[in-house]
Amino acid sequence: MQLSISLLEITRAIDSWLNSIFHPHVAFGIELVLAGVAVILLVVAMAVLMVYAERKLAGFMQMRLGPMRVGKYGSMQAIADVMKLLLKECLVPTNSDKMMFKLAPFVVTVVSFMTIVPIAFARGIQLWDINIGVFYITAVSSLSVIGILMAGWSSNNKYSLLGAMRSGAQIVSYELSGGLALIVVVMMSGTLSISGIVQAQADGWWVIKGHIPVIIAFVTFIITSTAELNRAPFDLAEAESELTAGYHTEYSGMQFAMFFLSEYTNMFVLSMVAATVFLGGWMPFHIAGLEGFNHFMDYIPGIVWFFGKTFFILFLIVWFRWTFPRLRIDQLLKLEWKYLLPVSIINVLFAAFIALMGWYL
Amino acid sequence: MSASTIIFYIVSALVLVFGAMSVFTRKIFRAAIYLLFSLIGIAGIYILMNMDFIAALQVLIYVGGIIVLIIFSIFLTHQAGDKLPKPLFKRIVAGASMAAFGLIVVLGVFYKTAFKVTTEAGIDHSARSIGRQMLDYHHHGYVYPFEIVSFLLLAALVGCIVIAVKIQKK
Amino acid sequence: MGSVSILLLMFCGFAFAALAIGLGNKLSLKRYNPEKGEAYECGMETQGTTWVQFHVGYYLFALVFLLFDVEIAFLYPWAVVFKEIGMVAFIEIVFFVLVLFLGLLYAHKKKALSWM
Repeated sequence: MQLSISLLEITRAIDSWLNSIFHPHVAFGIELVLAGVAVILLVVAMAVLMVYAERKLAGFMQMRLGPMRVGKYGSMQAIADVMKLLLKECLVPTNSDKMMFKLAPFVVTVVSFMTIVPIAFARGIQLWDINIGVFYITAVSSLSVIGILMAGWSSNNKYSLLGAMRSGAQIVSYELSGGLALIVVVMMSGTLSISGIVQAQADGWWVIKGHIPVIIAFVTFIITSTAELNRAPFDLAEAESELTAGYHTEYSGMQFAMFFLSEYTNMFVLSMVAATVFLGGWMPFHIAGLEGFNHFMDYIPGIVWFFGKTFFILFLIVWFRWTFPRLRIDQLLKLEWKYLLPVSIINVLFAAFIALMGWYL
Repeated sequence: MSASTIIFYIVSALVLVFGAMSVFTRKIFRAAIYLLFSLIGIAGIYILMNMDFIAALQVLIYVGGIIVLIIFSIFLTHQAGDKLPKPLFKRIVAGASMAAFGLIVVLGVFYKTAFKVTTEAGIDHSARSIGRQMLDYHHHGYVYPFEIVSFLLLAALVGCIVIAVKIQKK
Repeated sequence: MGSVSILLLMFCGFAFAALAIGLGNKLSLKRYNPEKGEAYECGMETQGTTWVQFHVGYYLFALVFLLFDVEIAFLYPWAVVFKEIGMVAFIEIVFFVLVLFLGLLYAHKKKALSWM
């Protein structure tokens, strides 16, 4: 893969330059600070972009223009929203469990940040290539339920509690199908680590190589991610016309912004995971035999491919929101336990059979 | 004192402090949350020992499953803001003496055992070696317990449903 | 980077949330009004306590989830070594999964998962 500038070379150059000036431990500390700042900037940039993109896309899908006044074509809308939330008072209800109430936004934010650790943005650009990459993301995502249950309980509001219980039951059910969808690709790649899974797609993305079972797993994973994020059409627990705002009814100001931000961060991370596991991560699109085409594809940097695939899946998730009507809680849980879970289990066995027979590309 | 020793002491202190807070607090939901932090601390200790797979299993099943189950059962039975009654003095004395007895037994076993310091490489804790041993049908393989586990889970599932459906019917 | 990345990102998340909420607290006006502290019920006053008899069915979902979660935890190591071992692993896992699938069918038959 000949690229003019590689992000990996830039980071290695920075690393050797820092090590030449400072003591190795100090250089390591500086690198940690740089990595932390980079992650925070990524999360903030992504949140701003997603808020604007969602409202613009919602507008276009509903035959209207969306935000147009704040900045050119409404691009400063997200900044205006953040300013508004900053200036609102952070209310704490009188009869609530104040410590838990204030702790819940921190728990959701920390869990959202923790899932970014194993993601590979380009060749070699990963915070930590854990040898249990995909399993780590599944495990840490299962912590997000706790923040929601904490918020619902400590608000001391019957509707918050009911919303939290329904949200909790929904997220916890859909985690099963999500895990099973990821297991299909793990089995085909033979490794849990993210860089190993991306490397196994060097001769083709898994949706193309592993035809039917991986396509079923991909569709299941997208549905499951939408449900785990409490996004429409599965957003009964936090829809405005239903239980007011569900588990975050009593939150205002920046505390509410943290729940909002963590939802967008989780959406972003799950899209990145889907892009890595099913669509090849930072691997370019190759067609076997067309050397000129492959050469051209190689010149586009890996990070552009990665973000392109991520934005495609984000677009799908936003598209779902403005297309499908909302599902009731019993329909939602029936979809999972009656349809998605048996289909996922049989898909795993089917994929195992196909991998055994060697019928994948 | 290397960095990993310092981090080990900090994480162990967290596990013990949160465990103690979970036992002594009078608000039931806070007890569940302190237990959660304590279990996450234990996952941290597994990571310090380079057992990543076990650490992720701890978080996935203990924290993401059992604590969620405990929290659901708290939602079903307690009112928000309820305080548990203060324990009786004789119960505190009985509990403390049993805890002290347990501590003396464990410390006695520790000091009697001659721990061997070895420089051999440790066992490979990766998912790959766990998988190989789990599916191995030869003499030292674990495939027989693996299949029995499926029956154990089936029995647990059937038992829970029988009890819960009976409660629903009442 | 190593295992310190987890601690780094936990700290980043905490610092970011603390900074944002702290800034929000500093910049917002606080005017005390006892009505602000009351629970929100779309403008109505709350009647009765917060505790409502919730359905035990929610607990069943969490319980069945836990059992299947343990099954998925067993499937992960199998998935990593499946291609190396081949047919034997396939037969073993079909047995394991089918037993648990029977459990799922039983749960459906007893209407434990469709009580709503």
